[in-house]
Amino acid sequence: MLTLVATAAAHPQGRPTLAFRGDAGFVWVRNDTTAAGAAGPVRLRGPMFGGEGRVVFNGFSLGLGLASGTLQTADQAVKRDLIEGRLVVAARPAPWLEMSVGPFVRAYVTDSVTERWVFWQARARVEAPIVTASLTSYVELWRALSSDVNLVTGAGRVQGGEAGVVYRPPQRPFWLRLSYRLDDAAVRARGSETLEAISLAIMVGGT
Amino acid sequence: MARTSLLLALSLLVCGARVSRAQSSASDLLGQGVRRYQALEYDAAAALLERSLTRDSAGALPDSLRARALTYLAATELFRSQRDSAIAAFRQLVLLNPRYRPDELIFPPQVTNLFQEVRRATRAIALAVPPVAELRSRSDSLPARVLASSLADVVVTLAREDGTPIRELYRGPVADSLLVKWDGLTAGGTPADDGRYILQVTPRIPTADGPRARQVVLDVKKVMPDTLAWPPEPSFLPERTSSGPAFRSLAAGLVAGAAAVALPSIVAPGKDASGARFAVGATVGVAGFVGFFARKPRVLEANARANASQREGWKKRLDAVRAENAARLRTIRLVVRAGPQTIADRGSP
Repeated sequence: MLTLVATAAAHPQGRPTLAFRGDAGFVWVRNDTTAAGAAGPVRLRGPMFGGEGRVVFNGFSLGLGLASGTLQTADQAVKRDLIEGRLVVAARPAPWLEMSVGPFVRAYVTDSVTERWVFWQARARVEAPIVTASLTSYVELWRALSSDVNLVTGAGRVQGGEAGVVYRPPQRPFWLRLSYRLDDAAVRARGSETLEAISLAIMVGGT
Repeated sequence: MARTSLLLALSLLVCGARVSRAQSSASDLLGQGVRRYQALEYDAAAALLERSLTRDSAGALPDSLRARALTYLAATELFRSQRDSAIAAFRQLVLLNPRYRPDELIFPPQVTNLFQEVRRATRAIALAVPPVAELRSRSDSLPARVLASSLADVVVTLAREDGTPIRELYRGPVADSLLVKWDGLTAGGTPADDGRYILQVTPRIPTADGPRARQVVLDVKKVMPDTLAWPPEPSFLPERTSSGPAFRSLAAGLVAGAAAVALPSIVAPGKDASGARFAVGATVGVAGFVGFFARKPRVLEANARANASQREGWKKRLDAVRAENAARLRTIRLVVRAGPQTIADRGSP
């Protein structure tokens, strides 16, 4: 037992590593639920900033992410704060595949009301190297296993996806990522909220 | 089946025993004849010696004993005052072996003088070939000794059994004996094929009272030499990078780029989407092209140099083996088995 502990302690691969990611992006939200109003779909947009930290250990990782931004319509008549948070548990059954699951919370906050979505996501991410260890493309799809929203209409099918490219400059400790994300959350009655985001991220640590 | 085998074995045993008994009987007769001769009982000696010589082929005396028997018979006939019979016996002896000479310590001068007289009068030629010889074509040769009782002008030829001439080995005089060699090659310089050949010595100008042509049948078997195996081709290093990684890079970029562009159609069909996806899709696609050109096939100079020296060494080994095999194939071994010497038929080659 002592030998195993000593071996594990001496082996650097056995130690957990930390990874952090900082995001800066721009978000477009299109809301055509009946709750948004009968005049037609509400279109909001605005910058968003966020970050995520992960603990990586033997192919498994546990992450916590948070992002927020302020969205408004083009005429600045409507303004909402967007806050997202998620907890993720991920595993890599193959070097090119990451499967993850975890709760996700998204809230649109106004002065009077907060629209809050809570769903459990199951995600699958496929990575393909473009230039070995330097440039990698990826595509990620997810779907909600269960979803809940504090709207009277109730939550329907919620799913999304993401595609992008990760660049790791040689001899540098950080990575850069450019991604495009789209989430679509349908409500049970009619309509949906669609969120698009383009983001540039810088990542440090992890393997 | 077992009964047949038993009968065959018994037959062979009986036949073998008969041959052995006949041969020993002829030898015994010769021995008894010699003893009668030494005891001066010439009539009895002549009878015994004649009987020893008249055995059929199965019980016939070998040539060495036959020569001895003929010598004693000639001497016996001479002492029996049968000079013509003595001359006939000596004549047979000369024809049998032109080089044979009666032992002057055993036989008195009147016997040896008669022999010399007959030898001079009897013109005979013969061939002596080792019963089995193994020779490498071009380097070894089959020795064949041509024997002549007196000076003779001869031609030594080699022909196929059907009479097709192969080579003329000698043409010229033979005073006493001459060693003729055959290197195993045909007139075309190629090793003789498997088969039966006839080695023949004939007088150049055949006459009625001249020596008769003699021949020996040669059974030639070609033994192909072992050749060396070709040296295995070395495992060369790749001299160019594979095109696979380049196309995989391109595919990775294009698929991910296309996925970014098509994401709204996949995830939220029928919804409007911003143009941001095109920016990301184009970037990822361009990254794919960058990867394609970064990993496109290129010449690996170090590998090409290493392969060149390895290829050169391999070709040298190949040439050495090729040369060795060619040399081995040029020196094919021939196993030559000679039959008994016989008198050649008139008109045969």
